[in-house]
Amino acid sequence: MIRAVGLTKRYGDRLAVDHADFTVESGTVTGFLGPNGAGKSTTMRMILGLDHPTAGTVTVSGRPYRQLPAPLREVGALLDAKAVHGGRSAYNHLACLATSNRIPLKRVDEVISLVGLDRVAKKRSKSFSLGMGQRLGIAAALLGDPGTLLFDEPVNGLDPEGILWVRNLMKSLAAQGRTVFVSSHLMSEMALTADRVIVIGRGEIKADTTMREFIAQNASTHVRVRSPHLGKLHELMTGTGWQVEAAPDDEDALRVYDVTSDAVGELAGQNGLWLHELAVVQPSLEEAFMSMTADSVEYHAGLGGMEPGASGGSGTDPGAATNTAVAQPGRPNGEAR
Amino acid sequence: MATATATVPTGPTAPTFRRAGFGDVVSSEWMKLRTVRSTFWTLVALFAGSAAVSLLICLAAADQYAKDRAAGNPDSSPDIVMLGLLFIGQIAAYVLGVMTISAEYSTGAIRSTLSAMPRRVEILVAKAILLAVVVFVVGLAAAFACFYLGNIPLQAKHVGVKLSDPGVLRGVFGSALYVAGLSVFGLAMGFLLRHTAGAITIGLALIFIIGGLVQLIPGSIGRWLYKVMPGNAGAQVSQFGEMKRNADKNFAPWTGFTVFMLEVVVLLVIGAILFERRDA
Ligand SMILES: Nc1ncnc2c1ncn2[C@@H]1O[C@H](COP(=O)(O)OP(=O)(O)O)[C@@H](O)[C@H]1O
Ligand SMILES: [Mg+2]
Repeated sequence: MIRAVGLTKRYGDRLAVDHADFTVESGTVTGFLGPNGAGKSTTMRMILGLDHPTAGTVTVSGRPYRQLPAPLREVGALLDAKAVHGGRSAYNHLACLATSNRIPLKRVDEVISLVGLDRVAKKRSKSFSLGMGQRLGIAAALLGDPGTLLFDEPVNGLDPEGILWVRNLMKSLAAQGRTVFVSSHLMSEMALTADRVIVIGRGEIKADTTMREFIAQNASTHVRVRSPHLGKLHELMTGTGWQVEAAPDDEDALRVYDVTSDAVGELAGQNGLWLHELAVVQPSLEEAFMSMTADSVEYHAGLGGMEPGASGGSGTDPGAATNTAVAQPGRPNGEAR
Repeated sequence: MATATATVPTGPTAPTFRRAGFGDVVSSEWMKLRTVRSTFWTLVALFAGSAAVSLLICLAAADQYAKDRAAGNPDSSPDIVMLGLLFIGQIAAYVLGVMTISAEYSTGAIRSTLSAMPRRVEILVAKAILLAVVVFVVGLAAAFACFYLGNIPLQAKHVGVKLSDPGVLRGVFGSALYVAGLSVFGLAMGFLLRHTAGAITIGLALIFIIGGLVQLIPGSIGRWLYKVMPGNAGAQVSQFGEMKRNADKNFAPWTGFTVFMLEVVVLLVIGAILFERRDA
């Protein structure tokens, strides 16, 4: 279990993490979400004792990281894949780390096989591709067979195959009952594995809850209606007392809240109005995330491109915004930035 | 150990481990030192470079040295045989010391190191011990190589120096001690500056340039500064005999080395405090 209390980090006049309180429960996969620059990496560095908090504390299994008797056996971390001396072979890099924690060297061979680096284990890591570097970082994290794993944006920059591999690995680690704390700036990335979610925006913890609750509280289901008689429909529906708004991504569509699609269809039918589309739209994680961090200035600065018209998965393609949205997220999104 | 969190299952592995001790930190740092090529090459430079330069200097200087000896020139000393070590060896030892830590910063490996072993002072102490031992051993081999190779041209002119001459054995061992100390000096500078080129430039300038320039400061301050500059103080232990020693210019051999070691320890302590306090 990881517990932060009043965790604060200031770099000069920049407040990177601001009185963060959160708990990463044992045996869960917890997504750590926030736009770029929100303070995720800083928080992770403080958990690992690499950066010193300006104020507050963070403990792992009830102790500050520095007091863990053999840290690698309790916590494995992948912060950035480049935390390696390029002149050392992958095997030697891992062997040096293992030795410092009294981990037998046969475990080095095991983790090398586990991440599939057998063929290049004796090569200097300087020559490794990003994906191989990421595998080496993950091998290091697994060295001590730790109960807790920290991954900072583990799929960043990976090719689709690498993304899939990392995702499956996280799933299997979770299935083994390990605690996994994984950060991402892509909401969709979390949908696959996370049970819980901690959202951070401009250094402040915005939510610390289960994924299900998070979605329920931050985005509501709506019915999407596309029709050539939009004006008339709008009038009728507001007359009935429904909450209606224009769909932000399509001027021929409306969003209706707190009703069933049956009710909308019947209303249109009774009035002889044609419908071109009628769908129940599940709240997507992306939307929940956006509404949560909407007040974060840095979010807009960092992700301006997410506004309608840009690449955003749900923005231009109405199909993606319907029921499939939650199951969708695996796709290219993962690599978008 | 498991007090407040006793009820929380910690995962698949047993939650109690044998504490990784200082011995493990030393083993790990030893492996790190052995598994980068720069260590090998700087040590090769320390040994072979020093020996070769000593031989060349003595080949070039043997004739003049023989004349000076015959004329009873008090400034001539047979410790010219050690000059290779005091030039190439010094640089190699210092650079190896710097790189032992600065390379971890420049590559980012320091974050892996510290995630695995967060007890930072133990890492610093382990590095210092290993460097001192390794550089002393290789430095001693280099010192004897310099002594025997440098002696060849001198003996040809019948002015060879013997290990049994006064202060010679001390000078040979002292040279090895000095380069070992210098590597730890480099390590301390590496911890302070965390930057390879910066630490090398400043350190070598201090030893080779500033150490001489401070003589230009007039009066007793200049004389005192000259004496205590790390290169000047530390190198006294490598000088043979007492013949050219000038009491108010340089420290006596062991006094100088002690002053140098104190300087190294002070720098290392400051380095340790900063290492503890700074973000990795
Ligand atoms: N070492 C540092 N020095 C100064 N500012 C930093 C440092 N590390 C992070 N920051 C700043 O702190 C904020 C949070 O950064 P970071 O934790 O890297 O965010 P994230 O990982 O969520 O993208 C950013 O504004 C970043 O510029
Ligand atoms: Mg980050």
